[in-house]
Amino acid sequence: MKYNELTRRHFEQPARAGTLAGPDCYRGASGSRSAGAWIQFDVRVSRTGGASRVLEVRFLAFGCPHVIAAAGVVAEQGEGGAPEPRLPQSIHSLRERLDAPVEKLGRLFVVEDAWIAALRHAAGERQNSAHDQITPSSC
Amino acid sequence: MSASAVYLDYAATTPVAPEVAARMAECLTREGTFGNPGSASHAYGEAASASVEAARAQVAAAVGAEAADVVFTSGATEANNLAIFGTAQYYRDAGRHIVTARTEHKSVLDPCKELERRGWSVTYLVPNADGVLEPARVAAAVRSDTVLVSVMHVNNETGVIQDVGAIAALCARSGRARLHVDAAQSVGKCSVDFAALGVDLMSLSAHKAYGPKGAGALLVSRRRGAHLTPILYGGGQEGSLRSGTVATHQAVGMGAAFELASAVLPTEHERIAALAERLWRKLRVLGGVLRNGERAARVPHLLNVSFEGVEGESLLAAVQPHLAVSTGSACASATQEPSYVLRALGRDDRLAESSLRFSLGRFTSEADIDTAAEVVTRAVERLRQLAGA
Repeated sequence: MKYNELTRRHFEQPARAGTLAGPDCYRGASGSRSAGAWIQFDVRVSRTGGASRVLEVRFLAFGCPHVIAAAGVVAEQGEGGAPEPRLPQSIHSLRERLDAPVEKLGRLFVVEDAWIAALRHAAGERQNSAHDQITPSSC
Repeated sequence: MSASAVYLDYAATTPVAPEVAARMAECLTREGTFGNPGSASHAYGEAASASVEAARAQVAAAVGAEAADVVFTSGATEANNLAIFGTAQYYRDAGRHIVTARTEHKSVLDPCKELERRGWSVTYLVPNADGVLEPARVAAAVRSDTVLVSVMHVNNETGVIQDVGAIAALCARSGRARLHVDAAQSVGKCSVDFAALGVDLMSLSAHKAYGPKGAGALLVSRRRGAHLTPILYGGGQEGSLRSGTVATHQAVGMGAAFELASAVLPTEHERIAALAERLWRKLRVLGGVLRNGERAARVPHLLNVSFEGVEGESLLAAVQPHLAVSTGSACASATQEPSYVLRALGRDDRLAESSLRFSLGRFTSEADIDTAAEVVTRAVERLRQLAGA
């Protein structure tokens, strides 16, 4: 299968691969390895005054190059943004940018689900629900 | 694919040997044997016919057959189709049941499926976990209305060699079922003796043995009285079993390639086996790797390995810039299907997908093997780390 430059760059050099730890970090995951796609996002959220934003994102990914690249793009775009539980761009638009076959849309939704899960955990913390915070021991 | 990528996909195809290409070229131009081998009325045709017959003798000699057994075709796919449809049609009044295996090549399975659509009954046997089709199970599947058993000699994905001789002996006892063997992957990789094996029909391919693409043959045992109904009609060439002008250069290329393959087999067998073991020793260090068909008799040039903890398409994409290998799955399309061969061996979908087939050949060097091991090791470690494994 041929991959476009964006997919190949994020697949070959996933700059934000890894995990985060700390009281200001939140984790979300989706999918399963047995189903062919699994993604985990860790986000570090800063809260100063009334404003909050995503300071740092890391991810782990099991999947095809398009899935890995999609996770990389979402992680890149997510840094610096508001911790809202939605993708910086629609998954359909992301699929087009990565030139992924339409048959892979289902796998790309796994990326979206993982991202939303991580940001929902972050939002939950704002409501004094700290159970999804990542402690060093949990990583 | 970079031209500098290490080529380890010799089971898919091989480059034409230079001496073979030279022989073929002699048949194409005005100065050479360009005549129609069917034109018996002039010297051009006679010269071409002589070249074809010499090639027929070379092919026969390489696989222990009589020259009269050799029916040139456009390749092993056509040979398999001719064997299956031709036998089914010829013996249609004797019975309409075929026995084959789930791990056969598509060019056997698809004709069988087509015959099922036409009202035939087909039994698809499942090999054991090592890919071996136990002869007793084949014999047990043969019924009173079975007219054909079709089994491949060397599996194209795992390299596992079936005990064709034992299967042939058991089929012979049934008295009615003809045995067809797809030996497309065998020539030059292991010894093939058509007559000694006691099979009725055998498919051969030229381009797997440093011959040209678009050339193959079906061996039809005259001694055993095998009969076929042709699937192509026209000029009655090839004993009326395969009408159409014989492509002299293709036949000559196949003959030369098979002769060469037989000559180098003893030395190449040992050299390739050592290289394949070197690759396996290096990959095994990774852990979580499985050699498919490990406990079975195999040809040395083929090493099929499943890698735990990595996704198949990503594994292939990670190694592709540096290595020309194929995956155990038909992963090149968006509609990915894990290898049906590996699934038949009991591998789950994920493991079947994350398999690589390394097939070594005449031009594979020790340096190629070391590069391959390094590239795959780096890719697997990176993907496992990325997946948090």
